[in-house]
Amino acid sequence: MESLFSNLALGFGVALSIQNLLYCLLGVLLGTLIGVLPGIGPVATIAMLLPVTFTLNPTSALIMLAGIYYGAQYGGSTTAILVNIPGESSSVVTCLDGYQMARQGRAGPALGIAAIGSFFAGCVATVIIALFAPPLAEVALKFGPAEYFSLMVLGLVAATVLAHGSLVKAIAMVLLGLLLGLVGTDVNSGVARFSFGVSELSDGIGFVSVAMGVFGFAEIIANLEQKEKREIFTKKVSNLLPSLQDFKDSWASILRGTALGSFLGILPGGGALLASFAAYTLEKKISWNSAQFGKGAIQGVAAPESANNAGAQTSFIPLLTLGIPSNPVMALMIGAMMIQGIAPGPQVMTERPQLFWGMIASMWVGNLMLVVLNLPMIGMWIKLLMVPYRILYPSILVFCCIGVYSISNSPFDVMQTAAFGVVGYVFVKLECEPAPLILGFILGPLMEENLRRAMLLSRGDALVFFQRPISLTMLIIAGVLLAIVLAPAVRKKREEAFVEA
Amino acid sequence: MKITNGKDFWAGMMFVAFGLGFVWKAQDYAMGTSVRMGPAYFPTVLGGLLAVLGAAVLFRAFVTKIENPLHVFPFKIWRLVAGLALGAVAYYTQPGNAAGILLDTGHALIAGLAVGLMFAAFGERSLWVILFSVVIFGYVLKPLGLVAATVLLVFVSAWGGHEFKWKEVTILSVSLAIFAVLAFVKGLGLPMNVWPGIWE
Repeated sequence: MESLFSNLALGFGVALSIQNLLYCLLGVLLGTLIGVLPGIGPVATIAMLLPVTFTLNPTSALIMLAGIYYGAQYGGSTTAILVNIPGESSSVVTCLDGYQMARQGRAGPALGIAAIGSFFAGCVATVIIALFAPPLAEVALKFGPAEYFSLMVLGLVAATVLAHGSLVKAIAMVLLGLLLGLVGTDVNSGVARFSFGVSELSDGIGFVSVAMGVFGFAEIIANLEQKEKREIFTKKVSNLLPSLQDFKDSWASILRGTALGSFLGILPGGGALLASFAAYTLEKKISWNSAQFGKGAIQGVAAPESANNAGAQTSFIPLLTLGIPSNPVMALMIGAMMIQGIAPGPQVMTERPQLFWGMIASMWVGNLMLVVLNLPMIGMWIKLLMVPYRILYPSILVFCCIGVYSISNSPFDVMQTAAFGVVGYVFVKLECEPAPLILGFILGPLMEENLRRAMLLSRGDALVFFQRPISLTMLIIAGVLLAIVLAPAVRKKREEAFVEA
Repeated sequence: MKITNGKDFWAGMMFVAFGLGFVWKAQDYAMGTSVRMGPAYFPTVLGGLLAVLGAAVLFRAFVTKIENPLHVFPFKIWRLVAGLALGAVAYYTQPGNAAGILLDTGHALIAGLAVGLMFAAFGERSLWVILFSVVIFGYVLKPLGLVAATVLLVFVSAWGGHEFKWKEVTILSVSLAIFAVLAFVKGLGLPMNVWPGIWE
């Protein structure tokens, strides 16, 4: 416990330096901005900024990128409540009751409770990370290649189970991602695999290109295919502070949302999106006010908004302790660490305590900034919402293109990204969820490396994965997860759940 | 046999093609043994699995109750053929390092057009116009500089939307170009030409 306080003190020392405060502020503002704006999410934004972070020091870079992710959770709710469009995919469910509240002239309290719930959840999640990350990292330090391989299998299986739509397609997407990740020079033999003689490909397919093409460009194209239609409640936003009655009505929902969100964030495949859906569903089931859900119940705003912020933050736990990304945003954070020459994994905590604890402390600082800055700044965000998409998307494209070009200062990366834009568009049309692909892509080389090492150590005996207890446990969990989802009854329910969502 | 779900059909085809493609290409490398895996081992296993799953998706396309038309997006074959032909031309006429700016720009235009045509094969105007604008940006940034590239990117991509207003797009492109130069070149110090190469 004492070491926790000294660690947190170290962290706050780092996070409160002028430079890091500035980058944290920049991160959360940018996060809120893209959270408010529909059509651009944290994945595209972080992908866009990755090349730029190369010029920063690692701690500032990661503090800023983390701020974008949880900042987006704050921003997303504003759009959901005022425009009935999720600014962020994780605020889809906030639209249901938030927009109804706005129509009843209660947009202010809805925005207020969303921000307050998010802040509370952010504080709790920060403490949870500080408490749970160190022991998990200790355990992870004992992991051998067999455990790592099984852990990745579990992570990927969980990601497919939680993906929308068809399970078989999701698994196929993981495999495709793993294969694409293997393109490039094989570290053991030095052979340039699947590069077709293109020298740029012998370094592997650029991660930024895949992420920005599949998520960024494909999203813009998909948005352009739909007509714009917005009705914004701007004049009625007054009196942001919820009444005492509102607090009485929603404190339990905030608590439940935070707890559920924190838990779901840690799970592989989890994160803000899953957390908000689950919290809304749970709340609708157990709240005394469930009859009012969908008609402007404040609980239906408080619970998912707390949950998505908690989930966004606790999803950093597997990243920081195991070096395993649980969702595409975390995959990008791994990319950011690698750009900086940091190998993600349990050793980060011991070798770079300033980075580790500085980042955790910055999350609390960032949340405080968000709640203090955002409530007064809400008028400005509303003005931004009035900007039509036909102005927004060329601007987004400009930043994306400059970002991609600057990776290697050649047209090749831009071309590659455009090509993945086509691929991403085809995925959307064929109803193939791209998130598992991204996870597979980042884990491909790691998985192969650990498989090779494990097999070398066991002299080619594949049973090693079942003989080591931790490895076996993880494989069993993965198997059970798959079995549960494949069970006919659950399968039907799962499909229904995603249709409803 | 009738294809019920067109989306599954094409997705299955895609997975099978990728799976078999990776397996086939991996045979150029050493397989190794399970103790010392060669570069071909893991891709072969994964590719095989992918092909099997793809086949399962493909099979499902015939037996499922979910109905989707086979025509998922408007695919235009002649554009693909023209793009590939132009691409071949561009590939064999690459100018050397000593080539002048005119030759460079000309070649960049041909190559860009080739790629644009390939994208256009997948139909939907918004898709190919947006991606084409991105490709143009990538190609002209070096020879023409950041300002011209940004203006081009904004104009072409704006044309891919629903409405195109000359005045609005002009103002937008100029302000974005100014911002890009200030933020990325002056602020972050990215090494990029601001103006066309001949001027500097």
